[in-house]
Amino acid sequence: MQPFDYVKPKTLEEASALLLQHNGQARPFAGCTDLLIRIERGFLHPDVVVDIKALPGMREVAVQPDGHLRIGAAATMNQVALHPAVLERWPLLAEGCASVASYQLRNRATVGGNLCNASPAADSAPALLCYEAVAHIFGPAGQRSVPLEQFFLGPGKTVLERGELLTAITVPPPAPGAVGHFLKLGRTAVGDISVVSVAVLGWPDLGAPSGTSWHIALGAVAPTPIRAAEAERLLGQDASPAGVEAASRAAAAAARPIDDIRASAAYRTDMVRVLTRRGVERVLAEMRAS
Amino acid sequence: MTIKKTTIVGQSFQRVESNAKVTGAAQYVDDLQFGPNLLHGRLKRSPLPHALIKRIDVSKAKALPGVRVVVTGQDYPGLTGLYLSDRPIFAVDRVRFVGEPVAGVAAETPELAEKACDLIEVEYEELPGVFDPEYGASPEAPLIHPNLGEYACAPFIFRRPGTNISNWFKVRKGNMEQGWAEADYIYEHTYRVPQVQHVPLETHATVAQVDGNGKITLWSSSQSPFAQRNLIAKSLGISHSKLRVITPYVGGGFGSKAGVSMEGACVAMALKAKGRPVKLVMSRAEEFYTTFVRQGLVAKIKMGMTKDGRITAMQNTYYWDAGAYTEYGVNITRAAGYSSTGPYYVPNVHADSLCVYTNHPIGGAMRGFGMPEIHWAIEQHIDRMAEHLGLDPVQVRLLNCLKDGQETVTGMPMHPTGLSQCIQKAAEAIGWGKPSQPSGPHKRRGKGIAAMWKAPAMPPNPGSAATIRFNEDGTCLVNIGGVDMGQGTLTIAAQLAAEGLGIPIEDVRVNTVDTDYSPYEWQTVASRITWSMGNAILAAAEEAKMQIIQMVAEVWGENPQDLDIIDGNVVSFATEESIPLKNIVVYGMQKPDGTWVGGPVVGKGRFMPTYVTPLDPETGQGPRAVVHFTTGAQAAEVEVDEETGEVRVIKLVSAYDVGKAINPDMVKTQMEGGAVQGMSTALLEQIILKNGQPLNPTFTDYRIATAVDAPLEMEDIIVEVPQDDGPFGARGIGEHAMVPTAPAIANAVRAAVGVEIDSMPITSEKVWRALREKRGANGNR
Repeated sequence: MQPFDYVKPKTLEEASALLLQHNGQARPFAGCTDLLIRIERGFLHPDVVVDIKALPGMREVAVQPDGHLRIGAAATMNQVALHPAVLERWPLLAEGCASVASYQLRNRATVGGNLCNASPAADSAPALLCYEAVAHIFGPAGQRSVPLEQFFLGPGKTVLERGELLTAITVPPPAPGAVGHFLKLGRTAVGDISVVSVAVLGWPDLGAPSGTSWHIALGAVAPTPIRAAEAERLLGQDASPAGVEAASRAAAAAARPIDDIRASAAYRTDMVRVLTRRGVERVLAEMRAS
Repeated sequence: MTIKKTTIVGQSFQRVESNAKVTGAAQYVDDLQFGPNLLHGRLKRSPLPHALIKRIDVSKAKALPGVRVVVTGQDYPGLTGLYLSDRPIFAVDRVRFVGEPVAGVAAETPELAEKACDLIEVEYEELPGVFDPEYGASPEAPLIHPNLGEYACAPFIFRRPGTNISNWFKVRKGNMEQGWAEADYIYEHTYRVPQVQHVPLETHATVAQVDGNGKITLWSSSQSPFAQRNLIAKSLGISHSKLRVITPYVGGGFGSKAGVSMEGACVAMALKAKGRPVKLVMSRAEEFYTTFVRQGLVAKIKMGMTKDGRITAMQNTYYWDAGAYTEYGVNITRAAGYSSTGPYYVPNVHADSLCVYTNHPIGGAMRGFGMPEIHWAIEQHIDRMAEHLGLDPVQVRLLNCLKDGQETVTGMPMHPTGLSQCIQKAAEAIGWGKPSQPSGPHKRRGKGIAAMWKAPAMPPNPGSAATIRFNEDGTCLVNIGGVDMGQGTLTIAAQLAAEGLGIPIEDVRVNTVDTDYSPYEWQTVASRITWSMGNAILAAAEEAKMQIIQMVAEVWGENPQDLDIIDGNVVSFATEESIPLKNIVVYGMQKPDGTWVGGPVVGKGRFMPTYVTPLDPETGQGPRAVVHFTTGAQAAEVEVDEETGEVRVIKLVSAYDVGKAINPDMVKTQMEGGAVQGMSTALLEQIILKNGQPLNPTFTDYRIATAVDAPLEMEDIIVEVPQDDGPFGARGIGEHAMVPTAPAIANAVRAAVGVEIDSMPITSEKVWRALREKRGANGNR
């Protein structure tokens, strides 16, 4: 493995400066569950890795006074998946984070790293998209915030500019009565990269014709994690079995998957339909029960 | 054969090395310390599947400070191989698979060695490749080994120089026309098995060092320390006595560490390292495609059956995707030939098993040695025919499976076997014929069964030896050449020695292998160790015991036949005298007249089968093809998700005739481990190759089953029909445990949702696709 320098800055300014100085050859370093493997396999050759874990607030998961959940960019998957407030109010996010890799890896892997890698299959992303999370970024020009839906640009690409780093994600509280589920299809029961994933969040909404409103997000079936807007709209209109079927097909139509060694595009597209329908049915059943 | 009552054999003792392994005290090759002198080896590998080497320039690598050794094929042009010497240590003038070593570098640090590899310039002229065995066997295919006819070769391997066929095993038995005429139904179909890898927990690891006298020591994570000594000494043209192979604990092999793969490269570098030790450890990626893989298979099966289910004829053609070198694979092809019908009595057989060179990774031994692959085809074929004829798959198997004395495919009378019992017991345990409830909507359940047989595949005369030496305190050391790679060799050796000697198992210590001190063992392969090495240990124990008893009898003035050793004491049934082994086993005993008798007790034993005969090259017939067959059956219950195609194995039953379970718990863990590995290959595993390039040499995309994927329930049934020449009647079980798993699961999937998956693995997507095709392309969408 190629040698590199390791720096652990104390302030955001220092971290940003380090990322700028090395002309793109510095990489932020959090859990290192992806970064080290990519260096070891020769895909990345950073001169410097910048450990962001000591920066203020980076490792904290807390509910803010405004009721929003704040996840520091270096908070681990297990920290989020096992956090009492997350389990109580954002359980869809807990499901997504808990589905990543293995328990041991989730002790290292971070939500921020998962998002910044910008894999279409990032398992924390669909839930965060459903909850309309916001990414908070620090850079040479100071702080800025971007809705997560605009954060991803393509496989491995985000809106982060040179010298910028993700500092936190905030997640607004879901609507009252919201129920969500994350469905992941992998080749093995645990630890696989998603072949397809679907996050479904529904809540009672008297203003909607179906009496319910929905957010649905898809993973591993487009260049970035995406929302399935047409499926959401259709379910707002009609959440009967026929409506659910139509929405599932609309979700499948929103998918733009590729053929790769994990699955074909055709299979992925049909699995979006199946998982969306199953997710919506499950959410509806739980909404009815409560 | 008389089998006396045993006290240690048949008991499930805890593994003798488990404490060391659980605490981390057990040392593997990578744990051994060699100090700051250690050099780190790396291999420069071919990026192309088939090419001529026009030029290799190592000057820049040699000039890099810290680089101590650079070697290429020019330095070591010799060829090696277990059954066919077709494999160079480093490619000489031609590369034949992606990942083939073209040069080796040893340097002060791994990073420097890696950098030096990058600095080696190789100019290639790419050649057309062979990526399919059926094409490879055709006259149109480019030749991968133009010199095939010149390689040294075992007498029972039938190569075809001028083609890519390095072994062609034929069976011509009975009268095919009559066989087809007697059939009410004839069905022909093609099945495929991809190359898969063994994925041992510990990758291949070696350290080699040459001392001032020119003696070479190789520390090797190996199943075959003696075979490595033999092959490497021969390929380097040195005396066997100049090479010492030490094998400490081994973290899994499954066949990948049989024979020689990368070890020669480590020795080659050490020979130029001026006495410094050189370490070479495979990365996981290298392990996936550069050492050994399981051969791929294209199997064409044609079978005739009467309407009451009797098999009248079989015409099977096996095209083995054997990879770039077939030094080991030629014998897998042979094993598939002499087992080509599966465990059934078939009077008329026409079989061709062809070992075909391809520009793929090198096929070698893997748990089952060709049997999981051919049974994938045969056992699915039988179910499909049974259904067509409206017959029960269990009954069809019971009707046709080999019974004692019936002729096998090569004309050998079948020895006593518990095969029928295994089929019956597996069927009973899975609840054959009783439907069970799926767990939810869109789920369907089904049950499947498959039978199997497998003989130890080896030369006719592989030998085993063992020694037993006593210590002053009455404990003893057992030296063996068999390797414990996780399967329990050390424990079996301790149990057999303790039983044979009449001492407590706690008083037996078994050493790992050092070819300078351990007695000979051919290889730890073929599920032959408990049987073959076990016989050698019992012979050694008998000799040691006789030395002790004769000494005591002389002193006591008794008939040796009245004495025995029980629980570490020599006892007399005549006089009820008793004396502990302590001291007398080293110092001897003083006679009443004041003189002494005895001396340090050393027992030695050996075993080699002497009765295996050659087979006719044109018909495959002969009196005795193999030493014996272990037989068995597995039954699976699966639940298939009709929408996603996912297959969940609910229950797996294994039933095998092991002759005698020396350690029943270890037999059962072999069955369970084999069932999970078999399930993993059935559902998940495949080296994905595109024009010879491996696309998934990582665990990210080469998925294997883990504990959470294992069947929800496993049941293991031990059947014991004794083997006439086995220790206490024992036969092997290590490999057999995964042979019928994949077809049992395929048959269960078929029973559940009615789709047929011809090619392993049964991925969710394949099931989904087959279900869609079954419903009609527009049926569901």
